Amino acid sequence: MMKLLRHKLFGPTVLAVLLFFAPLIISTYSVMILSEILIMGLMAISFNLLLGYTGLLSFGQGAFFGLGAYCAALMLQAGYQNLFLILLVGMLASLLASLVVGFFSVRLDEIFFAMITLGFGMLFFSIAHNWLDVTGGSDGLPVFVLPSLSLLGNEITFYEPTRMYYLVFGIVLLGLVLLWLIVHSPFGLILKAMRENKQRVSFVGGNVRLLRIVAFAISGAFTGLAGVLFCLFNSMATPEFMHWSFSAKPVIMSIIGGTGVFLGPLFGAGIFFVLEQIIIQYTENWMLFLGIVLVPIVLFFPQGVFGTLRNKIFKQGVK
Amino acid sequence: MEILLLNILNGLSWGMLLFLIAVGLTTVFGVLGVLNFAHGSLFMLGAYLCMQTMQLFDSFWLGLLIGPLCAVFVGLLIEKFLLKRVYGRDVSFQLLLTFAVLLILDDAVRVIWGSGYHVVEPPAILNGIISVAGQDYPVYRLFLVLIGPLIGGLLWAFFHYTKWGKIIRAASFDNIMAEGVGINVPLIYTSVFALGTWLAALGGALAAPQQSLIPSMGEKIIIESFIVVVVGGMGSFPGAFVGALMLGLLESFGTVFAGRMQMAIPYILLAVILLVKPTGLFRKGV
Amino acid sequence: MTDVLRIENLGHSYGKFKVIEDISLSISKGEMSALIGPNGAGKTTFYNAISGHFPPTRGKVFLNGENITGFAAHRVVDKGMCRSFQITNIFAALTVLENVISPLIIQQRKHFKIYGNVFKDKQIIERAMLVLEQIGIADRADQVVANLAYGDKRLVEMAIVLARDPSVVLLDEPTAGMNPEETENMIKLIKKLANNSGTTFFITEHDMKVVFSLAEKIYVLHQGHLLAQGSPGEIRSNEHVKEAYLGRKVHA
Repeated sequence: MMKLLRHKLFGPTVLAVLLFFAPLIISTYSVMILSEILIMGLMAISFNLLLGYTGLLSFGQGAFFGLGAYCAALMLQAGYQNLFLILLVGMLASLLASLVVGFFSVRLDEIFFAMITLGFGMLFFSIAHNWLDVTGGSDGLPVFVLPSLSLLGNEITFYEPTRMYYLVFGIVLLGLVLLWLIVHSPFGLILKAMRENKQRVSFVGGNVRLLRIVAFAISGAFTGLAGVLFCLFNSMATPEFMHWSFSAKPVIMSIIGGTGVFLGPLFGAGIFFVLEQIIIQYTENWMLFLGIVLVPIVLFFPQGVFGTLRNKIFKQGVK
Repeated sequence: MEILLLNILNGLSWGMLLFLIAVGLTTVFGVLGVLNFAHGSLFMLGAYLCMQTMQLFDSFWLGLLIGPLCAVFVGLLIEKFLLKRVYGRDVSFQLLLTFAVLLILDDAVRVIWGSGYHVVEPPAILNGIISVAGQDYPVYRLFLVLIGPLIGGLLWAFFHYTKWGKIIRAASFDNIMAEGVGINVPLIYTSVFALGTWLAALGGALAAPQQSLIPSMGEKIIIESFIVVVVGGMGSFPGAFVGALMLGLLESFGTVFAGRMQMAIPYILLAVILLVKPTGLFRKGV
Repeated sequence: MTDVLRIENLGHSYGKFKVIEDISLSISKGEMSALIGPNGAGKTTFYNAISGHFPPTRGKVFLNGENITGFAAHRVVDKGMCRSFQITNIFAALTVLENVISPLIIQQRKHFKIYGNVFKDKQIIERAMLVLEQIGIADRADQVVANLAYGDKRLVEMAIVLARDPSVVLLDEPTAGMNPEETENMIKLIKKLANNSGTTFFITEHDMKVVFSLAEKIYVLHQGHLLAQGSPGEIRSNEHVKEAYLGRKVHA
């Protein structure tokens, strides 16, 4: 029994089952919040592939999130209805963009890397904000028709929040499984090695720059996937997705949840949104309270709330 | 020709404000090793406190004197109770902690002074229009163009001719381990953060008559100050000066030649400089 | 050509200051050589210039007959030369096993493989355990490196370096910071490794006892120049070397 509890897939499986049945128990409004948590969780875990695993603090992930969202909005406006085509194109566009940004950024480290990615992110923001003909400027691009899915001869639409939730759940689950495989692959181990000591990696024959570009591109592609989902969920793509304050969200979520655990950032996203829901019931100044909550988390939970709790419960060291 | 001159003046006055913010940011980074996300909020706080003092005493000059000093008090609290705990820790923690301070300060100001615009009148002597090369130009902006180099020169003298200035420079720009030569390091950190706060708040107070006061005014300027600091070379005093002037002028001329896309100029500048010289203009390779 | 490593007229300058100048040497396969010299003689610069830390300003480096001058670090390793550092250079938060697996993944060109469990890759795990057994830390394979004793960390670095089965190993002060017992063990280990494998070792050391108990050939670096070379006996009796080390006093 204890062995089962300690199996590394036990927790995630229970979580997946809970998430699957959640809409049966909770209100429609909560289902929508849960969808948002899952989408931002996917973004945060993709981001953490860089921060937690590779040791790179990207402050421009919003660019790839927004790019995915704009791709989806533009395709839907142009009449493309195929769900998988939209997901694929959104991911590919973000992959290409992150390859370019990564190519220029990854030779920098630490704060310099954070600043150049912030700069590139804001460059995308400026373009989205001002290229009125394509992006609709600061108003963004609305989406009126959502793609549907043909399953066994039935046409399934996603206008109903619970159905949208299951779409989000399915895609996020798939994304997380793929990311989990990557993190535990040989490539994943080399990423951790680079986080620990990139000089040593190049002195055992690894091309650090190339490895980092690939990591950056993978992270960007999955961030783009999250962006596509958010556009469908939100029926809207706006330049705000690309703003640095949006790029700060996965940073906050990852650090709240813990960067040393695969699912940490997802928990961070959960804490973030639940906290927001509670606080906005009492006050308009949600940012003030977010700040007040963040301070002790940063100061006293070096492995994030989830990471610290998990280590307490299982008495595990972080790897 | 007149347009050119006006653009240069606009660029210089904006550049001088950027310089005041950036020089504090870069010095704090150089000594404490922390890139302070809340630096722009201290700028904003300076502007509001200046306004508040002005309302009490009905004098802009008193506002300029007292406002930033009140902000320094807030800065000292931030350093003593928060920043002190993350020295030497991972960059992501430092950025997130100062980001939290940014959120708190911005919203606190919103609670105290409301989220609407506030306007501060320049003092009578600087209020009005002057003719520059046949064009009307606000006197206050000319004042900014002049006060920037003045403060910059005083700072330069402070860093080069006073004991404290030399110590700070040793701890920052020359990367000497100050501890090795028997200097009270915590005291240096605290005073450098106070100096940085004062410069940011002074910039805010000086900017108050020129732009409308809103709680989010710090968020725009912090990103541009980041760019100035990185472009100039992090921790570099001359870098902050040159970077601020470059960005100020580029943005001013951007309105002429880049149209709507002028918004992208700072980020293009950042990307180009980091690609050509990854450590910035005035910092030697590590 | 039996020289595994040949260096021709190597020089490096920072601006106008010439740190090392006109160094030529060749090391034949299996020959245990050492580079010695007082502090500031340019030993580390020399190592950095030939191992891909930065390209040398002048001169050429040949590894197994191939010109590798100015190659980036990871390409120098691919060509068969791997190094250790004076300050232990390992993956602190990873386990001992993971530390050794990482170079093996790269050696087998699996470092861009984004699926599959590396701990079930028999080829890699067996090779990794073999290396750990050679070094004598196989029993600590699952421990996180950061928790190991200092001497064991140095051993982990040795394992990382040897994992890729290089033809030349550069060891930068392998016993730096070790206590006498650890030093003794390290000397024995290097001797054993040199005898058992086809690897050629080239070490720098400031501890003369270590140098004279290990090296078959010694190169003396002084103020950036190669002052002397020869067998330990020859070096011991060389007047120039004595002067360089004990030097200034005798002169003055």
